[in-house]
Amino acid sequence: MRIIVIGGGWAGCAAALQAKKCGAEVLLIEKTDLLLGLGNVGGIIRNNGRFTAAEEMIALGGGDLFKIADNCARHKNVDFPGHKHATLYDVNRIEPEVRNYLYSKGVNVIFETRVVDVGTEGNRIKSIYLFDGTEIEGDVFVETTGSTGPIGNCLRYGQGCSMCILRCPSYGPRISISMRAGVEDIQGLRGDESFGAMSGSCKLVKETLSEDIQEKLNKDGVVVLPVPKEDINVEKLNMKVCQQYALKEFAENIVLLDTGHAKLMTSYYPLEKLRKIPGLEKAKFVDPYSGGKANSIRYLSMAPRENTMKVCGLDNLFVGGEKSGLFVGHTEAIVTGTLAGYNAVRAGLGLNLVELPITLAVGDIINHENEMKKSIEGLKLRYTFAGANYFERMKKLGLYTTNVEEIRNRVRSLMLEKFFETRII
Amino acid sequence: MFRYIDCIDAGTEFCPCNLADTGECIICSQLRGKTFCDCLNWKGSCIFQEYYWNHNKSKKVREFAEYVVVDKKYIRDDLIKFDIQVNAHLARQLNSIGSYVFLKNPKSPEFFSTPISIMKSNLKNNQITVVVKIIGVKTKNLGLAGDKILLKGPYWNGIQGQVFLKGLKNSTLFIAARGVAAAPALMVAKKLKLKGNEIIVALDVGRHSENFAKKDFTDLGCKIIDVSMVDYSKYSLKEEFIKIIAELKKKYEFKVILSAGSDEFHELLLNHLYQFDNSLKFATVNNGIITCGEGVCGSCEAKLHNHLIKTCKQQYNPAELFIKPKGEV
Ligand SMILES: Cc1cc2nc3c(=O)[nH]c(=O)nc-3n(C[C@H](O)[C@H](O)[C@H](O)COP(=O)(O)OP(=O)(O)OC[C@H]3O[C@@H](n4cnc5c(N)ncnc54)[C@H](O)[C@@H]3O)c2cc1C
Repeated sequence: MRIIVIGGGWAGCAAALQAKKCGAEVLLIEKTDLLLGLGNVGGIIRNNGRFTAAEEMIALGGGDLFKIADNCARHKNVDFPGHKHATLYDVNRIEPEVRNYLYSKGVNVIFETRVVDVGTEGNRIKSIYLFDGTEIEGDVFVETTGSTGPIGNCLRYGQGCSMCILRCPSYGPRISISMRAGVEDIQGLRGDESFGAMSGSCKLVKETLSEDIQEKLNKDGVVVLPVPKEDINVEKLNMKVCQQYALKEFAENIVLLDTGHAKLMTSYYPLEKLRKIPGLEKAKFVDPYSGGKANSIRYLSMAPRENTMKVCGLDNLFVGGEKSGLFVGHTEAIVTGTLAGYNAVRAGLGLNLVELPITLAVGDIINHENEMKKSIEGLKLRYTFAGANYFERMKKLGLYTTNVEEIRNRVRSLMLEKFFETRII
Repeated sequence: MFRYIDCIDAGTEFCPCNLADTGECIICSQLRGKTFCDCLNWKGSCIFQEYYWNHNKSKKVREFAEYVVVDKKYIRDDLIKFDIQVNAHLARQLNSIGSYVFLKNPKSPEFFSTPISIMKSNLKNNQITVVVKIIGVKTKNLGLAGDKILLKGPYWNGIQGQVFLKGLKNSTLFIAARGVAAAPALMVAKKLKLKGNEIIVALDVGRHSENFAKKDFTDLGCKIIDVSMVDYSKYSLKEEFIKIIAELKKKYEFKVILSAGSDEFHELLLNHLYQFDNSLKFATVNNGIITCGEGVCGSCEAKLHNHLIKTCKQQYNPAELFIKPKGEV
């Protein structure tokens, strides 16, 4: 059985890996020359409820990628405003690690190859077409193309192309595979009901910061610098994707995190103003390159899905990551991607599809987001274990804990230990 | 279902064009009345962004300018060869596969302008060569032009299926050319020679002893076969041509063919070759009735899979248009 995964971000890597672990032949197609997509510019994991989710996945047997991220950590147990016990993985080290791991498991990956269309037969996708017209047939398909861009969207709903890691001008735009197969996309909203949301952080070249700051970043992983009073812009918080960072502290301060680069936790900050802050006089953006002016636009292309991650209205298309909902984060992409890859194999075998239990955070978020998305208010929210509304919910439901033994017990009592490790073919 | 869609002007200095102003862009969904990206063929630049940065206006349109006719020669009673002095920029822009211009006698009104393929563009002296066949009002009128001529260009869609030609390197191209269609075929031959391709040209002797472009093809180092191609009584390919094609196919194992003739000829040739090998790739000379060249007037439109194609600037896959499954006419 051949599973084709389209888009090699965290969600696609997780789906491909899981489908392979289940015993399928897997082809992962990525338009750029890198896996991990936005994961190349993120780095924060295990903050707040993400810790619980990561440990749940490890107990469920689907923790391979979390272990790699842990191994690539520059800092563990970092606290910064509103966030506790974060791990910061090194964005400059992690991609080859994940790539080699997928290869070692036998996942086939093709790079610099963009999928542009599908061939359908009734409610089934029969094949996908590459940019040059090549047709590739498969049994089940997983779309994990994310939701970022492309340029026209970043322009209409944002401030134009900011030259982010996805590099549309070179590798071509994301397109919605599910829409090409006839299923209308859902769009996320901002507070003012305009479409989409702006990515919430940038990367600075660490070497362009003062030696003090570099030293402190390398040692503690975090540096907080006050923003000059006249430059505080609380408004900007409303535009952000990452509602977990839409806190007053992030408007009044510059929060820098060490992920290999210096991650700047604000959506765009004119370089001129940034350089007024002591220690940042020579600062320079590295992602997105035009980070002083713009940032990428996301959540314009979600497919309606079931809680099994199957796309509504199609028999053999699954989705994960940002494509599958208003999820923010690597952890969220890995969780949804893993389930998509798992159920893709079950669908290929004609088996009934499974949902993750809502007594675990990883199952609850998938159910909850799907429910919430039905309302306009729900479309304005983002869903992450790391903060905002969903973390509150985790705490309220008693799902949040950092007690690893307790998490294992929960999974064990559901008889789901090593669930994702079983071959099903 | 995958649709082969391309706009020859996409990403050039003429893009976005008038079609963007009217929400009819061939490539960009945002400039086709949608509010989200779903572009049909990425050419390396975002047309919507270009439009936005151009103050939500299309780019400049091509306009007529007067050039000097350096040489005008009757090759036959109905074939005129013009050498026209243009500027270096235009000569360079026209030195490419599929390029054409609109020509007009300066004394005539705008609607006399007619599209003519570029046969040669000499970058040393900035002269272009075109061959005009006198067939009707416009071309007759052009024949009356003196030492000045009005020219509008560059346009590039004179050959369909350019993707197959532009990708060909160190391989073999088979050209079957008839009459005046040999002119754009010569430009193709020149370009593909530069990429190390061997070029086999079957030239139709037609009603005359040999094609006007034979010497030029020979000078480029192409292998030439003179042959009579069409049996007019049944409008079919002649046995002798069919035999020659079979021999050439066996000997040179070409994978790409340029059909340079009328649409009826494209249909005969493509269907014939396709029967033997359905992996062949075809390019064809564009015979659309081109009037404005900007996708606006509608005279050149062709129908393919229920979509209208503006053939003056939109590329299609000739196999999809001309190859008819058996039994379908
Ligand atoms: C600047 C920034 C910083 C962030 N920081 C963090 C952080 O610190 N911690 C955190 O948890 N989250 C962070 N996030 C969010 C997080 O990175 C994303 O939510 C998550 O990684 C999304 O994963 P994904 O796989 O769904 O999508 P993506 O990462 O967008 O992956 C989609 C992939 O599909 C490919 N693709 C698209 N179209 C096609 C096509 N047609 N054919 C083939 N391939 C295609 C793309 O090239 C890409 O590789 C950050 C996001 C941004 C933008």
